[in-house]
Amino acid sequence: MKDDHPSIIGRFQAGFRNSPRGFIFFSLLPTLILVLAFTYYPFLRGIVMAFQNYQLFDLTNVRFIGLDNFKNIFNDPKFKHAAVNSAYWVFISLILQFTIGLTVALMLSKRFRGRGIFQGFVFYSWALSGFLIGLIWKWMFNSQIGVINDLLLRTGIIQERIGFLSDPNWAMTSVIIANVWYGIAFFAIMLLAALQSVPSELYEAGSMDGASGARKLFNITMPYIMPTVITTTLLRAIWIFNDPSIIYGLTNGGPAGSTHILSSLMLDKIMYGGDYGAASAIGIVMIGILLLYTIFYLSVTRSAKMGDF
Amino acid sequence: MAAKKGKRMLLVAIAGVLLLSVMAGCSSNGGSGKKVTLRMIESLTSPGRTTVLKEMISKFETANPNITVELISPPFDQADNKIKTILGAKQDLDVLEVRDLTVSEFANNDYLEPLNDYVKDWPDYATEVDVAKSVATLNDKLYFITNGMYQRQMFYRKDWFQELGIEPPKNYEEMVAAAVKLTDPSKNRFGFSFRGGAGANSVPDTIILNANFDRIDHEDSMFLTDGKTMYSTPEAKKAVDLYVKLYKEGSPKDSINWGYQEQVQAFTSGVTGILLQDPDAIPALMEKMDVSTIGTAPMPKGPSGKAFTATGGGGWGITKYSKHKDEAFKLISFLSSPEQNTYFAQKTALIPIHSTASNDPFFQTDLYKSLLEMSSKPDEFVNLKANTKYPGTGQWGQVAMETGQSMLLGQVSVEDTLKKWDQFWADQRANLK
Repeated sequence: MKDDHPSIIGRFQAGFRNSPRGFIFFSLLPTLILVLAFTYYPFLRGIVMAFQNYQLFDLTNVRFIGLDNFKNIFNDPKFKHAAVNSAYWVFISLILQFTIGLTVALMLSKRFRGRGIFQGFVFYSWALSGFLIGLIWKWMFNSQIGVINDLLLRTGIIQERIGFLSDPNWAMTSVIIANVWYGIAFFAIMLLAALQSVPSELYEAGSMDGASGARKLFNITMPYIMPTVITTTLLRAIWIFNDPSIIYGLTNGGPAGSTHILSSLMLDKIMYGGDYGAASAIGIVMIGILLLYTIFYLSVTRSAKMGDF
Repeated sequence: MAAKKGKRMLLVAIAGVLLLSVMAGCSSNGGSGKKVTLRMIESLTSPGRTTVLKEMISKFETANPNITVELISPPFDQADNKIKTILGAKQDLDVLEVRDLTVSEFANNDYLEPLNDYVKDWPDYATEVDVAKSVATLNDKLYFITNGMYQRQMFYRKDWFQELGIEPPKNYEEMVAAAVKLTDPSKNRFGFSFRGGAGANSVPDTIILNANFDRIDHEDSMFLTDGKTMYSTPEAKKAVDLYVKLYKEGSPKDSINWGYQEQVQAFTSGVTGILLQDPDAIPALMEKMDVSTIGTAPMPKGPSGKAFTATGGGGWGITKYSKHKDEAFKLISFLSSPEQNTYFAQKTALIPIHSTASNDPFFQTDLYKSLLEMSSKPDEFVNLKANTKYPGTGQWGQVAMETGQSMLLGQVSVEDTLKKWDQFWADQRANLK
């Protein structure tokens, strides 16, 4: 009975019945608006800014300047230094995070008393913000009152205090150590989940054929978890490359710019220089690098092996 | 049928949401009540300070029941960027904390309402000291009412100085000599709480300023009376050599990265013996140290036997686009009254803005005495207005820090560093509109 009532809702309904596309569009609209407003608009705006003189302290003088921002950053020795640092930062962090994370996951995949608590401790670092981790390690690395120097001195490993963050030869190593500590948990969580999905029959069959532990690891475990390995290392490399928070909290790129990576340099241009143009130009260069990296990585590892994520 | 019903429910729900949002839109636009909500943001945030501020605001709200104040307190490190973002996007904001470092940038972008007309009818303005007014003034326009001032003095370890039989230094030469003497890395003891990280420019700028004492343009303090920058003189070279010696021989190597926190922490934990700091460091010193081991002295002087003192400060301003300017000034004048401001200054360890406050016994104690001594000798300690008219003032800290670190690490020579500094300020002057 209500269906014959010619209400507004009824008319809406009739309209949608005749045109399901309209209804689909209507349903998608809220999401579309959000994605356009918060993902694509800033992205496009950033691209436009990269070609503009856009300085926060003088917004009355915003104008297009062609490729000047790109010329400036490519001529800046700080940019080159940060690019080289980014390569070290991603490569070394990723290898160490993965190797240690895999070892932890293998250890945790066996049952033992207190495994749950131990797991909690291992995963704890992943729950902290990168900025906070930067601050914590900053005090630990402090050469006068930091705990690391104190322990090394007391155990007689070193005789003289090390300026972990003030000595340019040490600073990059120190920030990478903090980053490795942070990222181990991610690999441990992800790889542990993958390990738990390996059917135990495979190991039983392996044992019957007389395979050793190492043989089982490389011939059963690794091939089985390979899709997870590929996806996690790909993702993690991008995150490490993009994430300035640890460096920002630890050294802020110092001393004398020696620990800047591209993303922290970009942040620096905004936070201290107010130069959104130069920062956007760096951002575009970063997007380019990531695009090339992804194409290369996926073609090398053949995307067919990718797992669903 | 069930599917149809479900569909109808969905449509009703959508219609309901739309209706609600339309109603919400109407009510916020067409509100007719006289209640006013002021949005206010602070910049020099710290947990203790925010508590005091909230306490004062709630007193204001009690006295003015039709005004509510919504205080935003971003963490100190991000506060000024947050404020810039809000102003840039013209988000709702009535009262904001403007600092000597940001006033030029904000005024340049036309974000601030000049307060000259407002203070005409404000009786307490008469007792506000000139320095507090001058900090907040740019081109004869008053952009904020100062809420507290800071000025550096020297804190030193009385016991260490007595041990070595040395007197508190009176000039920079003596200070560097004392720092070198106090330094003994084997005991993890160093002379000077050096600051090579954020805020690094303050010490070298002050030494250079004092080295050029007689030639400094008082109206444009990074420059000499002949229009060149103060970094271009042979005296500047000598001053920076002294500064490098202070780092290399009298300070911990690690301090090249230190900011305010580390600098104060090193002094309170007995690693360093001399600290040049604003009075806002006093609460930390009193909490963590035996007060009898702390001595204070006036800031070191330059070769001329005189020193420039720079009084800095922040305060409350009103946004140009605020819809409630009168209420906003009512709040500011309440917070800036002699009673409230003196209370605020005591709690946050700053120098109060009203001349009547110096009689307060709180400011007569040892830790504040040198500050008062400095202000009582205006011929020896000449107050110099902080130079904030250049848009690059905020950027200078970062430039000076990075180039300074390269110099301290020996990667770049003193001469080349001074050339960069000279260039930075010469450009600022050339580009000033």
